[in-house]
Amino acid sequence: MERWKRLWVIFIVMAKIGLFTFGGGWSIIVQIQNEFVEKRGWMTEEQIVDYMSLAKSFPGIMIINMSVFCGYTMCGITGAFAAAIGLSLPALGAIALVTYFYNSLKTNVFVAKILNGVRSVVIPIILSAAVKLKKTALKEVPAYVIAAITFVVCALSSFNKAVIVLIALVAGLLIWRGGIEDDLS
Amino acid sequence: MIYLRLFLSFMKIGFCSFGGMTMIPVINDEVLRYGWMTAAEVMDIVAVAEMTPGSLGINCATFVGLRVAGALGACTASLGVMMPSLTLSMAAVHFLLRLKGNKWLESALRGVRPASLGMLVAAALTLGISTFVIGTTVQWNLIMIACVAGFLMFRLKLSIPKTILVAAVLGLLFG
Repeated sequence: MERWKRLWVIFIVMAKIGLFTFGGGWSIIVQIQNEFVEKRGWMTEEQIVDYMSLAKSFPGIMIINMSVFCGYTMCGITGAFAAAIGLSLPALGAIALVTYFYNSLKTNVFVAKILNGVRSVVIPIILSAAVKLKKTALKEVPAYVIAAITFVVCALSSFNKAVIVLIALVAGLLIWRGGIEDDLS
Repeated sequence: MIYLRLFLSFMKIGFCSFGGMTMIPVINDEVLRYGWMTAAEVMDIVAVAEMTPGSLGINCATFVGLRVAGALGACTASLGVMMPSLTLSMAAVHFLLRLKGNKWLESALRGVRPASLGMLVAAALTLGISTFVIGTTVQWNLIMIACVAGFLMFRLKLSIPKTILVAAVLGLLFG
């Protein structure tokens, strides 16, 4: 019973997040953090940070990858399906609606203005995710260096994200060499 | 059979791309090959995807599926484009959770975490430039909207959906 309730919550919350995802995948990070880490404690902040660059570097759609990572972590394979389907349902509905009215929407000046507003707010939303996850991602000096290099490379080029994640992974192995103290929890 | 073909085509699109705009060339190849859409319609779908929440990939799959084979077509195409996530990502997270607490894995992830953060901030910057600077003109009104909405979110702890709604209204007034 408990399991079904959890699956239902994952599905509904993901559908809600799906309804408010604009401007690429990164804006869902802070919403997932709010709903599943802060409010419910079903995931850890480390997991969010681990998953987001992996989701970006795996083939397929970033937000669906992210939902599968999170859904599986919270409730196994069924959780992954609940999360992925929940997240895409609003898009399915919205696209059907917009397609139907596309020709009138395309030239509507008010629609363009509203979209301008929505696109603008995506940037502070993404930055708020960065602010929240900073303490989890940046614990030691080498981490600051990795973050800075990644930022510069990603900002200046469209270098393949999967390669960047792979390099960061190897760098992590070489820097810490399995010698993590007992702060694993 | 049209459903199977939609499913396979969109599965291929999923596996051959990394989301967002990188999908467009692959989508183009597939939908033009079967005559499902014209190149101009593909550009329209990118515009539609911008207007609706959710990712370009799912939106495109829904649009094409709906067009070619109705509601069931939309579902099979969407499921197809989700296949990489449901296989590769699923396997990866299974493996990650199995090895949880392993010190070598933790070392590797300590390298990945700051990279995640760097990528996130870079995404904000890139998106910010493309939104706030059109040609050589700076869109000050949009920057103001971002600042006001950001203030509501950071200081007054307004939830994300509410913040987006506020931004939509501000956009209508000043955008």
